[in-house]
Amino acid sequence: MRNLLGLFLVLAILVVIPSVDHVFAQADEPAKYIDRRVLIWNLFFKLMTVAFTVGAVVSGTLIWIVWRFRETHPQAKPTEYEKSDTWGGPA
Amino acid sequence: MTLELQKPRPIWQIMFSTHHTDIGLLYLILSIAFLFLGGVLALIIRAELFFPGPQIIADSMTFNRIFTVHGTTLIFLFILPSASAVGNYFVPIMIRYKDMAYPKLNAIAFWMIPPGGALVWLGFADFTWYATPPYSIISAPGPAADMWIFGLKILGISSVLGAINFIVTIMKCKHPDMSMGQIPLLAWSFLVSSMIIVVAIPTFAAALLMLLTDRLGVSGFFNPAMGGDPIAYQHLFWFTFHPEVYVLVIPAIGMMYEIIPRFSRKPIFSKSSGIFAFVLLAVVSFSSWAHHMYASGMSFTEKTVFMVGTLAAVPASGMHVFNFIATMWNGRIKFLTPMMWSIGGIALFFSAGAGGVANAAMPLDFTTHDTYWVVGHFHLFVMGTIAFGTIGFIYYMFPYVTGRMYNETMGKVHFILSFIGAILVFFTQHMLGLLGMPRRIFDYPEIPSWIIGNQIASVGAMIIGVSMVIFLYNLIYSSAKGKPADIHDPFGLGGTYYYPFEAKTPHHN
Repeated sequence: MRNLLGLFLVLAILVVIPSVDHVFAQADEPAKYIDRRVLIWNLFFKLMTVAFTVGAVVSGTLIWIVWRFRETHPQAKPTEYEKSDTWGGPA
Repeated sequence: MTLELQKPRPIWQIMFSTHHTDIGLLYLILSIAFLFLGGVLALIIRAELFFPGPQIIADSMTFNRIFTVHGTTLIFLFILPSASAVGNYFVPIMIRYKDMAYPKLNAIAFWMIPPGGALVWLGFADFTWYATPPYSIISAPGPAADMWIFGLKILGISSVLGAINFIVTIMKCKHPDMSMGQIPLLAWSFLVSSMIIVVAIPTFAAALLMLLTDRLGVSGFFNPAMGGDPIAYQHLFWFTFHPEVYVLVIPAIGMMYEIIPRFSRKPIFSKSSGIFAFVLLAVVSFSSWAHHMYASGMSFTEKTVFMVGTLAAVPASGMHVFNFIATMWNGRIKFLTPMMWSIGGIALFFSAGAGGVANAAMPLDFTTHDTYWVVGHFHLFVMGTIAFGTIGFIYYMFPYVTGRMYNETMGKVHFILSFIGAILVFFTQHMLGLLGMPRRIFDYPEIPSWIIGNQIASVGAMIIGVSMVIFLYNLIYSSAKGKPADIHDPFGLGGTYYYPFEAKTPHHN
């Protein structure tokens, strides 16, 4: 477990440090020059990569559920709640 | 309630009734009427932007008037009243009480909406639905602007009265045997959104008064020429209207919580997480208002605080999406019209949320601020999530209200066209924003990518327009000549319903 935590920490640092290194440009004596336009669009593309990946997983899951658990699916069977009539309705 | 329509009564008996189902019916009819009025204005806007240069609107001020009234109508006169329609019908039944806590107050809250709407429409103001100073103080022509302010004042009071009624009804009138945890999630959604209204709306009420006195020249709260600060108005406005986003979306999610388990033939996966997510959304809704104002000269620290506050809404929204997916898992899903609208609403809710994360990241906000990206983002929320959830629920409650079934084929065609149209309009508007097209413009330069984008968006809007005509025809035709509904199980799902048709019996238990 400790190894796993350590690995996670190292990976997090590897990801976070390159993402925020441009804050050093905010020091009293700028340590580096930044091109805001490049930074902003890089951030946009990174966020879009994450958004499209997560979106694909969620949408894919949604589409699969809709296809697999439709009542006309060959393997569809009554839910356990239908048999006992204990679903829905007043709490 | 359905029996009331099957045994015709004089119209005035419904109009002057204080019973919750009659008020709900009035809210429903009024909100649908304003949906079509606001929708027509949207089509005019999209037709105007189909090509560069003036097309069908004479000048930019008329264009500004049209999109101001379009936004005001659909937010205050369609979404809020349609949610009130659902709440009035179902909340007393769900908490097993004979009516709302204050029936006369309920009627008064409803009857404040037509005059408020009339003031907005007869004035036809031009200062956007933000009424942002200093333009709204110095240049916006009266009496249109003053009528808008009075109209919004009336609509705000109506919202607060309705919210107080919902809170008291749920907290104090629920059946003694029911604990708060047993109250259905739809009723919880109305409780939470009503609490947000009570906290948020008074701030805007104060801002409207200050705006009015500024316009009259007796004060200078937001007038730079008199030492006022226009940015202060933005803070007051967004302190109300960012939470208002959740006031609009939380009942729509509550409606999906009613439909998805019903049509999946399973209970909700986790009711407690749904309640927790509602409350969490309510809390974080007040920690994110200034993300609308990153470009107004705030300090880095303030922007960071509001960025984090905004992102705090992501886990709560994710909990709802997870809850919906987990509820459908292992279910036996029946794809009737209400379920299709709900699933479409979830998909677009997720897309809108992803765009919201990009907006919340302040460096990106500078890129997208005041561009069509923002237009696409919030329309994806209000149309793709809130209107989809609400329209799905209108289909769901249709047999209870009329005693007849709507036409299923027309309902499905309505959904498919609206879904395609929404993607064409709002996803394209995101792209137009990234291509640099500013929002609220009457004309645009002949840039090929802008022209194509606007034409795609306009075609999408026309598709939605056609689908809404089908919707209207379905509602009118089916309520008169539709197949009689099996009121005990109109959708053929089995299980136990809330039996809304028992609403007029003296006891609901």
